[in-house]
Amino acid sequence: MTTEDEVRAEVRAWLAEHPRPEDDGGEWRAALVDSGWAAPTWPVEWYGRGLPPEMRRVVAEEFARAGAKAPALDVTQLFANTVLAHGTDEQKRAFVRPLALGEFQGCLLYSEPGAGSDLAALQTRAEADGDRWIVNGQKVWTSGARDASHGLLIARTDWDVPKHRGLTFFLIPMDQPGIDIRPIHQVTGGSEFNEVFLTDAVVPDANRLGEVNNGWRVLQTALGFERLIMGGASGEAPRGFKPKDGVDPVLAARQSPWTRQTGGADYVELAKKVGKADDPVTRQEIARLYTLEKVNAWNSLRARADSSGGSSLASIGKLAMSRIQHTGVRVTTNLIETESVLTGDTSPVAGEINRSSFAAFVTSIGGGTDQIQRNIIGERVLGLPKEPEVDKNVPFREVRKAQGTRSFS
Amino acid sequence: MGTFEFTDDHDALRDAVRGFAAEVFSEAEVRRLMAADSPLERPVWERMARQLGLQGLVVPEEYGGAGAGLVELAIVLEEFGRRLVPAPFLSTALATLALLQGDRSVTGEHLTAIADGQVVATVALAEDDGRWDATGVRCEAEQAAGGWRLNGVKSYVADGMIADLFVVAARGPAGVGLFVIDGTADGLTRTDLEVFDRTRRLARVELVGVTATLVTAESDAVERFLDAARAAVAAEQVGGASFALDMAVGYAKERVQFGRAIGSFQAIKHMCADAFVDVESARSAAYYAAWALADGSPEAHTAAPLAKAFCSDTFFETAATNMQVAGGISFTDEYPAHLYYRRAKSGAQLWGSPRAQRDLLASRIGL
Repeated sequence: MTTEDEVRAEVRAWLAEHPRPEDDGGEWRAALVDSGWAAPTWPVEWYGRGLPPEMRRVVAEEFARAGAKAPALDVTQLFANTVLAHGTDEQKRAFVRPLALGEFQGCLLYSEPGAGSDLAALQTRAEADGDRWIVNGQKVWTSGARDASHGLLIARTDWDVPKHRGLTFFLIPMDQPGIDIRPIHQVTGGSEFNEVFLTDAVVPDANRLGEVNNGWRVLQTALGFERLIMGGASGEAPRGFKPKDGVDPVLAARQSPWTRQTGGADYVELAKKVGKADDPVTRQEIARLYTLEKVNAWNSLRARADSSGGSSLASIGKLAMSRIQHTGVRVTTNLIETESVLTGDTSPVAGEINRSSFAAFVTSIGGGTDQIQRNIIGERVLGLPKEPEVDKNVPFREVRKAQGTRSFS
Repeated sequence: MGTFEFTDDHDALRDAVRGFAAEVFSEAEVRRLMAADSPLERPVWERMARQLGLQGLVVPEEYGGAGAGLVELAIVLEEFGRRLVPAPFLSTALATLALLQGDRSVTGEHLTAIADGQVVATVALAEDDGRWDATGVRCEAEQAAGGWRLNGVKSYVADGMIADLFVVAARGPAGVGLFVIDGTADGLTRTDLEVFDRTRRLARVELVGVTATLVTAESDAVERFLDAARAAVAAEQVGGASFALDMAVGYAKERVQFGRAIGSFQAIKHMCADAFVDVESARSAAYYAAWALADGSPEAHTAAPLAKAFCSDTFFETAATNMQVAGGISFTDEYPAHLYYRRAKSGAQLWGSPRAQRDLLASRIGL
């Protein structure tokens, strides 16, 4: 067992031998990946150091001391993590290093028009054809599809078993004629998400991750890694609060996450500007909003410092953020009232509030709706029983399904 | 502001208090004390002080206490809050926090008596109009030969019928200060108030020329005490809310209707999930506020009213959820859901209503 001091000494020695160049250049990055310090908890034979999760903090601290940022690929590299968890040695050899170096980029081919909250009801089919699979169907809400070299694809390979048991997981090459990527026109006016049409797309059997029809289990691992990234849980020290230094906590909360992103106004300043600082209703609403933001921030501090209870705290963060954002929109709309019907250059403030109002739905719908989050908390955290599932032991072929394809581009 | 972590000592304290509360304050015993004339059992009170050292937790060591801080007190209050402990612990703890603001030459003997379990103490702050801030204080303090005399009316005084010692907020020539009076002093008249929550008794106290000693006349000290009180009450509410949630979830798993446990219905499940989010958030708020105060952080000033408002709302909402989840049985006296609902009401409105605390918070964040 390596002690914390030994780890510190080893990181320092490596950083002393390999000072970080100004541009984080490719060679340094490659040396870092090969050294294992880019992913300390990965196995030694696969670009890691084989350290326990609690050492991530130690490694991060030593990198910070040297003015560098520890990549922590063992937290952030969802694709490599999934390959390491379920891949064959051959697949690890083919994918882990290129993913770690950023030569390969991944995207997620999970959701479909007919399979949102009920992901296991997906209808994209993969059919065996010698040593390859032919894929037909449609995926949706895929961000980064255009930049991706590979997609993490889950597809149906058996229609005569219940829905969870006929799915298989693949790493499909994205650059091929059978894959058509179309940006979705979003309510925000932007197009961060895409729909991906697969028409006789090909994936070699060598790119299958895990056993045939065992894709649901692989997916659960992948989703677990995604939660790890979103929760920012890096297995840090014990329980308590770990505030960041040098941040004015009151000011930070007043400039809420969604207005901060767009360089927007502090809602206390906005209330003063519109002459509502003394209005009792406004004061109550703003205090409530501020409170929601603070308690969520404190939950995060507690989750960061809490390796034991962190998981249940992490599960509430998304729901809490949804409430903050939707409340924030209501409170700021109440501040500007009539002006909130405007947008664009006519009223930049209204434009920002209206943009935020849609951004709030990204949180309350994307990555599991608030209602699904409540089911997860109810079932996994509180241990309440699941709803009876009418499609549970029925072959998927016979289950009532949503429309499997629909274009929004 | 550094890092705060719960330690093994904190865990040990929590375990000890949880075990004690479960043993001594069973539901049956809580109900018996609710019906009794007095919620105080002197032998239990002495055991709490001498065996567990609870009344002396925040009392400095030189006065017979443990010299611990608000976080440790919050742990005890959370655990007592879970069990609706009717013993005058919160009252005495708040009085202790008030005494700690003053000169030890005045407060030392009282702190020692509290730590030893010899006295029940309480704070008399609000008056007939039910305000919990210094500006609402009309009770007058005037300097007289050999000390001070208090004249006025205090109300909503927790455990005011049984208190041996009162810390009274009164208006003197230099503004509102804190004063100590003896429960047996001449000119002090107590009236028992009929209360919705019998686990927390209240009294109205009339003061006519009552001899008093000054604890502190500094407005900063009074405000520091009020913030500490807000954080302490918030911690007690987290305990009650947490217990009510456990009750709701437990019932939702057991109760069968339409051929299945009602907790499998999303209508019930989502109520429980929302309550869980609030209870965990309330826990973060209460302990952050306690720590910020203990640490002397400038954020304590905003965290304390925030925690009081949020934990109050959370306990009240969770207690209501607990009743709604239990359905018809929650309307019976026998089922304990209403005890938590009553406690949630008293905790929310005493020591500063959520509305008043949010208004204070609004001022403190710059509105």
